[in-house]
Amino acid sequence: MDNGTSNSASENETITLKSCDGIEFHIDARIANRYTLLNNWNGGESACIPNVNGKVLEKVLEWCEHHINDPQLNCGDDDSRRRNTIIEEWDENFLSCDQDMLFEIILAANYLEIKPLLDLGCKTVANMMKSKSPEEIRSAFNIDNDYTPEEEEQFRKENEWAEDY
Amino acid sequence: MITLPNECYCIVFNNLRHNYKNLFSCALVNRQWCRIIIPILWSEPGHNFKDKRLIRTILLTLNAEEQALLIPFNICLPSHPKPLFEYASYITSVTNDLCYGIGSWLPYGDNKNWLSCERLYIRRNLENIIKCSLIAMFLRASKNLKYLYLDEIICNQVIFENLYKNTTVTSVDLYLTYSISDDFKSKAIDGLE
Repeated sequence: MDNGTSNSASENETITLKSCDGIEFHIDARIANRYTLLNNWNGGESACIPNVNGKVLEKVLEWCEHHINDPQLNCGDDDSRRRNTIIEEWDENFLSCDQDMLFEIILAANYLEIKPLLDLGCKTVANMMKSKSPEEIRSAFNIDNDYTPEEEEQFRKENEWAEDY
Repeated sequence: MITLPNECYCIVFNNLRHNYKNLFSCALVNRQWCRIIIPILWSEPGHNFKDKRLIRTILLTLNAEEQALLIPFNICLPSHPKPLFEYASYITSVTNDLCYGIGSWLPYGDNKNWLSCERLYIRRNLENIIKCSLIAMFLRASKNLKYLYLDEIICNQVIFENLYKNTTVTSVDLYLTYSISDDFKSKAIDGLE
């Protein structure tokens, strides 16, 4: 297959990607067209995508396939897109997996430079933090508090204006 | 347990950009998150400039020269340990809400219901002096200051000097009460160039 002419990929054209644990996926070439990095691993036989296992790659490709006809946004749209925390129903169902898988999808989207999926994953994590106390967030994300009591008190005092809104 | 790199957390917290209360809670989770959140939390305080608690924190970040502007007026600055962060360095926009915040931070003397014209005049003066000192500080300390509200009363030499030195401001709102302000206008515009 000629990667150089991938812009004209038709509906029936497929490419092969292999996860780091050796699982092969045959996907619509138009997906690789949208996300340039995926194209780098086209060719199957020996090229594997490092760092992304089959289970995660399957999810990432499922998302890419569902969104294959989405309009492509310019970089300039980034801010408005990020600040809107509303998530479409399909995407919400797609990401209602366990937290490890959600984080794995975000890491893979970051690594593969699939920005809309990265933003969507991050938005989902942000929504999980909404209206929660620091203790609730710590327990939801399994994080230890490493503030000293003095530091925490000073932080609260310097930033207490933000506490009410 | 999988964790995300800081660059991903930065995208996460940017989704909560104007949700100050949420950012406050997240920043209290641990120190790593706090360091990512503070620049986002302080980038656009917006209407929170009206809050005297915010004014109190930014008064802690005045340097000796800016504090010196206040000495002749017996303004009692908050005493506190050195702030945990250079909060003012993250501010990108200073709105007119700053005036209201300073007004609410300044203590009223013994009788807050009784304000004679003279006392009102003194009070306005004090507010303007504090505003001068804070704006001079924003122009010095903020690394990304883009928008600034200025009016004639507060413009003095220190502010013009700092505006000349500043390289990030792209928009200044000038509130002018007198028509004889061409000199002021041209100075402020020169400052942007």
